[in-house]
Amino acid sequence: MRYHTRECVEENLAEMLELWNSAWPAGATMLGLGFGFALVLLIASEKLKVWVDPKVEQVHGALPNLDCGTCGFAGCGQYAKAVLKNPELIGKCAPGGPETSQKIAGILSLQVSDSGAVQKPIVHCHAHTADKTYYAKYQGIQTCIAANALANVQACAFGCVSFGDCIRACKFGALSIVDGLATVDYDKCTGCTACSKACPRNLIEMVPFRYENMMTVACSSKETGKSTRSMCKVGCIGCGLCVKQTEQFTVEDNLARLDYEKYEATEQTETAMNKCPTKVIIYRGKTKNPQDKPGG
Amino acid sequence: MDTLNILIMGFISIVIINNLVFTKFLGICPYLGVSGRIDMAFGMGMAVTFVVTLSGTLTWMIDNWILMKLGLEVTRYVCFILVIAGAVQLVEMYLRKFFPTLYESFGIFLPLITTNCAILGLCLFINLWGINNLLEAVVLSFGAGIGFTMAICIMAGIRENLNLADVPQCLKGAPITLITAGILALAFMGFAGMIR
Repeated sequence: MRYHTRECVEENLAEMLELWNSAWPAGATMLGLGFGFALVLLIASEKLKVWVDPKVEQVHGALPNLDCGTCGFAGCGQYAKAVLKNPELIGKCAPGGPETSQKIAGILSLQVSDSGAVQKPIVHCHAHTADKTYYAKYQGIQTCIAANALANVQACAFGCVSFGDCIRACKFGALSIVDGLATVDYDKCTGCTACSKACPRNLIEMVPFRYENMMTVACSSKETGKSTRSMCKVGCIGCGLCVKQTEQFTVEDNLARLDYEKYEATEQTETAMNKCPTKVIIYRGKTKNPQDKPGG
Repeated sequence: MDTLNILIMGFISIVIINNLVFTKFLGICPYLGVSGRIDMAFGMGMAVTFVVTLSGTLTWMIDNWILMKLGLEVTRYVCFILVIAGAVQLVEMYLRKFFPTLYESFGIFLPLITTNCAILGLCLFINLWGINNLLEAVVLSFGAGIGFTMAICIMAGIRENLNLADVPQCLKGAPITLITAGILALAFMGFAGMIR
């Protein structure tokens, strides 16, 4: 019995040794080849290294990485690159939804704030429905572009036509028409510039927001003071009272403008705002003061 | 002269008569997947040509100089896959560095060449056909790539025109593509037996 077991063990051992003897060259060759290729690839990856913007990786990381192509690009990688180049493409990622858009916006606006103040849109019109004058009721296609093509859609040729092209352009729901005037919700706004490009009357301008609330002349009318006044209750008449207070304001083509680059909240600007006869100088931004109309 | 004759015959044979796509039905995935547009198809064909030439040559060398010497023919599959994957990685890095636009347009298809069975198929066929001459192996590998490019370009040309054709509702999309592929393969059967 004992003898038998030993023989069995020896037999097994011999078998295993044989297996080992025939297997090790294969393993060694495989390992050798593997290491050889690894070495070649290592050298190649060092020699052929391509510098990639770390922000691309960040944006790519924020994306759901489904490569679904809903955004119109071949995959998430391509979309990440395109978004970096053109922030307007934010929000094309349907599976990611608003959360992903917010994340990307965070990554991108960080980049913006590195190089100065965050650019946010300001609507250069302050006329709500009651302030405007209409000659007739517009019943055409309900878009700003179509309405703008018509001469007398409303009396003021510079004011907001309130058909909401900017709302459709905004991917964050930051815009709304409040009582006939496009209004920005600065909490939702990411500064993607889509609205400023959508407005056919160029009322929306990207402005460096160096304060929570920026002062602005909320009008774009280049008509003379008299005709502006006849058409709109809150238009800038180009009287120049603000210019007398501080040089931050300038009047050109019957329209006062604040130099946003130079803007600093001083007593003079405050006085200019109070002295404005049509009260068209207002604050826009994340309004904390409840008596101000929010952004309005 | 005899060598040249064999080389030319081998080349024509692998491109037309023993075309990997039409007669062996290998590499059907990219053949149907990337043949939507002719420029993409050509790019894919070029990438495959490059990879198959490189890996065909390399595998022949490894097979004849290492594996056969050591009697390790059983490990061919593993080795060949390793070589192909390595070659694809190399091509990807090279393209990314020097042809970024081409790299962008390939997107996911470039890594997919790794699992293109036409390439592994050719590496194994070279061995099966008993090619014992390095030059012949290189020419055959290159020819296989050219054959694949030709096949995929023909398919892409047909499919571009097919977009305008009035296809019955039930055959739209994948069915008509597969029927086209079948008829094409049938047409290429006509070359069978032309040489030897």
